[in-house]
Amino acid sequence: MVDVVSTRVKKLVLGVGNPILTDDGVGIFVARELKKLNLPGVEIEELPASGLELLDMVVGYDKVIIVDAIRTKGGAPGDFYTLTEDDFIRSVHGASPHGINIPTALAMGRRIVPEKMPSELIFVAVEVEDIENVSDKMTPKVAKAVPRIVEFVAERLKSR
Amino acid sequence: MAGPIINDTPTKTKERQITIDPITRLEGHGKIEIFLNDQGNVENAYLQVPELRGFERFCIGRHVMELPVLTNRLCGVCPAAHHIASTKTLDAVFSATPTETATKIRELFYMGQYMHSHIAHFYALAAPDFVLGPSAPANKRNVLGVVDAVGVPIGAEVIKHRSYGQKVQEITGGRATHPVFGLPGGVSKQISEEERAKMEEMAMSCVKFGEFTIKLFHDLVLGNKDYMGLVLNKDAYYLETYYMGMVDKAGKSNFYDGDIRVVDQDGKEVEKFRPDEYLDVIAEHVEPWTYMKMPFLKKVGWKGLMPGKGNGIYRVGPLARVNVSNGFTTPLAQKEYEFFKKTIKDLGVTGPLHFTLAFHWARVMELQYAAERMLELASDKKITSDDIRGPFGQPKEGVGICEAPRGTLIHHYASDKDGLCTKINMIVASTNNYAASNASVRQAAKALIKDWMVSPGLLNKVEMAFRCYDPCHSCGTHSLNGGPALEVNIRRKDGSVLKSLKNF
Repeated sequence: MVDVVSTRVKKLVLGVGNPILTDDGVGIFVARELKKLNLPGVEIEELPASGLELLDMVVGYDKVIIVDAIRTKGGAPGDFYTLTEDDFIRSVHGASPHGINIPTALAMGRRIVPEKMPSELIFVAVEVEDIENVSDKMTPKVAKAVPRIVEFVAERLKSR
Repeated sequence: MAGPIINDTPTKTKERQITIDPITRLEGHGKIEIFLNDQGNVENAYLQVPELRGFERFCIGRHVMELPVLTNRLCGVCPAAHHIASTKTLDAVFSATPTETATKIRELFYMGQYMHSHIAHFYALAAPDFVLGPSAPANKRNVLGVVDAVGVPIGAEVIKHRSYGQKVQEITGGRATHPVFGLPGGVSKQISEEERAKMEEMAMSCVKFGEFTIKLFHDLVLGNKDYMGLVLNKDAYYLETYYMGMVDKAGKSNFYDGDIRVVDQDGKEVEKFRPDEYLDVIAEHVEPWTYMKMPFLKKVGWKGLMPGKGNGIYRVGPLARVNVSNGFTTPLAQKEYEFFKKTIKDLGVTGPLHFTLAFHWARVMELQYAAERMLELASDKKITSDDIRGPFGQPKEGVGICEAPRGTLIHHYASDKDGLCTKINMIVASTNNYAASNASVRQAAKALIKDWMVSPGLLNKVEMAFRCYDPCHSCGTHSLNGGPALEVNIRRKDGSVLKSLKNF
């Protein structure tokens, strides 16, 4: 008999950010909207931290989409991009006073538990405007982009 | 494996102002500014840190019961500490005494926080310096380099036991990262026997991992003469300050509850206070060059960023807790504490230890204590009792304090009769340490940068002077291109940048 459970692709959407730091919460807000869609076979989680906590959450899944904030030179708030781990190679940091970042945590997972790491992992990075002021509301341009991002992620989840 | 690279070759710089940006290029403007004089020696150095804007305004008018969940959003690194401090503050606000079971569950939860926080700091942030060397190239001097050097199996143990800390938090606190279980007078979630047994098993493994970590620290640091030369470098890493930390009735270190003890540079107790007395002891100084306030001992006064009895700056965190206490209540941590005391006695030290890099030693001792205390609590079958909520009264004003992994954490709220927040004040651990960590940076910079000679290794050694405090200054943002980074700008005396070094 075929083991249906073990052959199913395990999918996870992880919204990363701080929901009371204005646009930093965009990943969380996108995850909450996706949850309302009850997408079959997809788990939706929120992660209000970074670093090694993220590693704990992605192990064991085949396909992971991480939605997070980003700020790039010349980027317009509400724009979003898909990125892969390779795009962050230069972000693997040296010793720091504070913590390790997402790319470093993922690189550590690939080194230590490669067999448990997702075969497909992409980032949906959303350009943000304000991540300094405490607020549970996003700025208008970022808030307006949320439905488009939700639609995009839902579409990406359809592929096996 | 090759030995650690302790020193590199400095090159002559023409710059007169050196800037180390330790936080990130996104999170704000946390940085170190080092000013050189005409001779190319350090004239002064400043650690500047950012603050999240508007948190107090965000909280005023909300129900105080929301604060344990809101305040823990301040930090993606130690939300559990904020949740515990906040929950204890609600105990005070509502005149509630938590039940014995609830107290045990909270403390068990909190030991989970210490496990993963101290493991992350020691292995991911401190070990790159110990294993690869403070002057190893920045692209190698990271946790991946540590895994390459010590081997994947040890890396896997690190990940596993850090994860055990998270799991204990998840079982007891409802969520692994941002907990939701704290209520005035208790907790919202009972522990099942199955959960207790699972945590007991994880705690047993954590105790063994604590022993392993202590041995590793002995081998890597105490057993390495070059490192001990750095640790015992009085010119660079030595501050005679006051120390503050929580102790139980027997004077043993306690992370969850107790009195706050302050000792002077000779180890003499100068203050012992309950949480609601904190404003009698602590005042805050404001400097024009930074947003963050600098707490100091009110009775001693503020004299600037210098050590000594005449100045009220104090330190909190692992080394401070070891310095204010008589050790630990658990056997293996106490054994290491006694070895520590004997070792420093052999160095001629009878009172507190003032060597800044000894924070790392204290941290591994505390990791062992947290694991042992976790095992004690998880082995207690009474912890599964349903007596998890005590009575509470009408809301008023209250203060709650716990020891965050980084040091003493104070929350203070006032409520109106409907439970709406009318005032909120918090002094977080890294703020308590802010004056001292500034003094440490200044001292290290002055000792290590001479005659215009600068190198990445030297600048990392300056950063080591405050990294060992495990600072957590800008809590909250996690943008993809954020995260820890180091930027060093070297400037002329007039402030203009001549050269820039980055590790990102």
